[in-house]
Amino acid sequence: MTPRIKRLLDYTFDRRQDALRRDADWAPLLARFVAEGTPDGARARIGLQEMLRAEGENPVFLNGERIALTRTVRQIPELHTKEEMDARRAAGTAFGEKGVVFNLTADFGPAIRDGLDARLAQMRDRLARARAEGDAEGVEFLENAILSVEAVLGFVECYRAAAEARGLDDIAETLGRVPRFGARTFREALQSLRVLHYAMWCEGEYHCGLGRIDQYLLPYYEADLAAGRLDRDGALELLEEFFVACNRDSDLYVGVQQGDNGQSVMLGGLTRDGAPAFNDLSRLCLEACGELKLVDPKINLRVDRNTPVEIYRLGTQLTAKGLGFPQYANDDVVIPALERWGYAPEDARDYTVAACWEFVIPGCGLDIDNIDAVSFPGALDAALRAVARSAASYEEVEAAFLAEIQRRADALVEKYRHVEILPGPFVSAISAGCIERARDLSRGAKYNNFGIHGTGISVAVDSLASVRELVFEKKMVTLPELVSLLDTDFADRPDVLAAAKAAPKMGNADPRADEIAKRVVAFWGHAFDGRRNDRGGVFRPGTGTAMYYVWHAREIPASPDGRLSGHPFPANWAPSLDVPVKGPVSVVRSFTEPDLGPVCNGGPLTIEIHDSAFVMPDGVDKVAELVRFFVLRGGHQLQINAIDRATLLDAQAHPENHRHLIVRVWGWSGYFVELDKEFQDQIIRRVELAAP
Amino acid sequence: MTGRLFEIREFALQDGPGVRTTAFLKGCPLRCAWCHNPEGQSFEKDTMRGGGGEERPCGEDWTADALAAELLRNADIFAQSGGGVTFSGGEPLAQAAFVAEVADKLRAAGVTCALETSGHVPEADYRAVVSRMDFVYQDLKHHDAEAFRRWCGGDLALVLRNLAWLRGSGVPFAVRVPCVPGVNDASADREAFLRLAGPGTAVEFLPYNPAAPAKYPMLGRAFPLCPTPGTPRRSATTPANASPAAGTPRKRAFRDGPAK
Repeated sequence: MTPRIKRLLDYTFDRRQDALRRDADWAPLLARFVAEGTPDGARARIGLQEMLRAEGENPVFLNGERIALTRTVRQIPELHTKEEMDARRAAGTAFGEKGVVFNLTADFGPAIRDGLDARLAQMRDRLARARAEGDAEGVEFLENAILSVEAVLGFVECYRAAAEARGLDDIAETLGRVPRFGARTFREALQSLRVLHYAMWCEGEYHCGLGRIDQYLLPYYEADLAAGRLDRDGALELLEEFFVACNRDSDLYVGVQQGDNGQSVMLGGLTRDGAPAFNDLSRLCLEACGELKLVDPKINLRVDRNTPVEIYRLGTQLTAKGLGFPQYANDDVVIPALERWGYAPEDARDYTVAACWEFVIPGCGLDIDNIDAVSFPGALDAALRAVARSAASYEEVEAAFLAEIQRRADALVEKYRHVEILPGPFVSAISAGCIERARDLSRGAKYNNFGIHGTGISVAVDSLASVRELVFEKKMVTLPELVSLLDTDFADRPDVLAAAKAAPKMGNADPRADEIAKRVVAFWGHAFDGRRNDRGGVFRPGTGTAMYYVWHAREIPASPDGRLSGHPFPANWAPSLDVPVKGPVSVVRSFTEPDLGPVCNGGPLTIEIHDSAFVMPDGVDKVAELVRFFVLRGGHQLQINAIDRATLLDAQAHPENHRHLIVRVWGWSGYFVELDKEFQDQIIRRVELAAP
Repeated sequence: MTGRLFEIREFALQDGPGVRTTAFLKGCPLRCAWCHNPEGQSFEKDTMRGGGGEERPCGEDWTADALAAELLRNADIFAQSGGGVTFSGGEPLAQAAFVAEVADKLRAAGVTCALETSGHVPEADYRAVVSRMDFVYQDLKHHDAEAFRRWCGGDLALVLRNLAWLRGSGVPFAVRVPCVPGVNDASADREAFLRLAGPGTAVEFLPYNPAAPAKYPMLGRAFPLCPTPGTPRRSATTPANASPAAGTPRKRAFRDGPAK
């Protein structure tokens, strides 16, 4: 790391940028929207204009900076009041989360290549046609999009002029070029990306992924190298500067928890044509993350059965640094899964993750891939109560459970058949197809699929295995007795609790649990077959949980696997937190036993490895082989935490000493000390189960 | 035949190359004062009691067939990663015939085997098992016969006779020294260990495990090594003054294929 990058890094770590920030009062703007009944598209455009006007008043140039742009206004305008949104919901409109476009990766590559002037020209032509055709919606969209893009360019001009006034000639020159015109150099491309990505946040989008930067930035890197403008170290330095910048404002882009901001990057995999895509820029990205040790951007790495072991090792070197990433995605499983859901092969090969781990296609997907979740333990609890007195065999219990899963899946299809999304004229201008269609991205893109998470799958499977053993094989309790014990946390029957805990569990490569998992996952994978939303999109079931794992666990009492009330579910696709597993090999074996293609919405197996794994020099090789084992066995997605429990406990007690301690939470890496205690405790519990 | 184990640890990271499962055999002829696996010392079954009062039986009998089958469940990742099975303990060679039988079954299935031994066993047992191994970690706990007797309760001459045979056996091996502060970790000690190991032998000096006393209360015993050394754990490296051959020859030796 060069001294210049170290300075920028320290500046960010010391949070000196906070002193530059100021509050904005957007209440009058919102009141005006309400009073005037401003349409949604105009609200988005005006909100962006006002935000950028405020931001443009105060350009920031940090000492030594070469890629400019630091956010200073803390609040982004609210475009709708809670009352307005509640009224729409009450009138029967479903929204995904906050309602705006979110959890997506824009089509950054073409926007950086072409520049925004080209988009403006294209939009003006298209506007003339829309007017001629009397396409009122098209006209409205294009007018808002043109004004939004002009607002971004106007904002950049404020920065450029300020840079010039301060004698920062090279920054002024770069900003004079991009994003108005197509980038020519690696530096220009990164500056352009910084502006475009930032402008999305300012428009109100959130969980804005960065996508396949090693693909769409590669031409600039190669051109600079070929022209002798830049060498590898110079490119690494620029990349590091960009990565540091991703951490400067990220606290303003908070999701459910600090760190949950969706600034994900996807590296490697295949090109749209199917050629191996891992390149020297992919390598540089991994190196940059390894040097900086920051939570953003969150690195994802696409691999397949032919990926050289060396690439797994490069990834594992980041794991060894305790970053909680890379998160791996297996092309062998994900690409065919996406094709089965109707994605064109070249699009499927171009996948990235939306924010955490949901697979999306950059630029052309308006998938809402985390629209809701089904609680598997919740479904089992309901099913057990329904059939407690009637079920005469284990098979009847399992059938009742699967029927309940289907019932819940069908209810979600009904609930989200029609979903409205609030417009984003700027992001539309940098997404594929919106200008040609003269329609805002929120009205639909090439892909409009919805993803449904499945929480606590392992808890439900373990519970089924326990019901089979305790009730139908050992006949220790009757089913009604077991159900009543769930309500009392097994009070008075410690023998039943002990037997429940000792029953077969997922994660130990025990076929008695794993064969149940195979059936449950197969059923879940096809629970939405034939169902479509009114945009023509399919429903994609997955093994992710997002934060639902915390919420769903509160909805049921104890479960038949021996989990007591109040105990959380595991995050994502992982062993129950109450299971002492044999080790990571058995965990991988269990969790790759089902066919994961049909449940490929996203949702990684999460493994904790004790950080002493990396004490011996060949620890990296062994963990890399474990990852490869997962891929060879047909796993879909994997994330690994390398952490020591004692460190976590000390960090809970003395957060001031552990400000930089990074952990993987549910689909992202964050700073441990910034998490709520509930999430901290969950991670400590996970780590306790990782054998030293 | 039947053997007794106290643990099977999957993804054991310090017991040889590749991804490995280590089988810990119960019972040991030595009583090293710093032993961090005291539950492996007795040949009898024990019960470990945790601080919360929970009890865990310690010691499980396996037939050779069942143990081999259990270990072979991970044969795929062993083959993928160049790993295999390591026999440790306790003292695995105290159950030599059992280990030999399991090793034969594993090797017949293409799985490579490694051994961690104190070498404090009858020569016939030692030779019978070591000749079946692809790699051996031969412990040297002390270089001085009197100290070895005092700290471990053993006869160093027996260990050295086995080491001498090992050196001529053609089986790839490394010497491992568990460094214990104040017992065997002075620089003069290190030189003596290197001399004892012999020229050209890879020697790994393992850092002292500060968690060693942890399991004694669970067995209702006191940690014998007092005062408890408090040196923080460091990475396992061969010191700069080790013999030139010390380093990582063991991986290459392993990948040359099973010992004949």
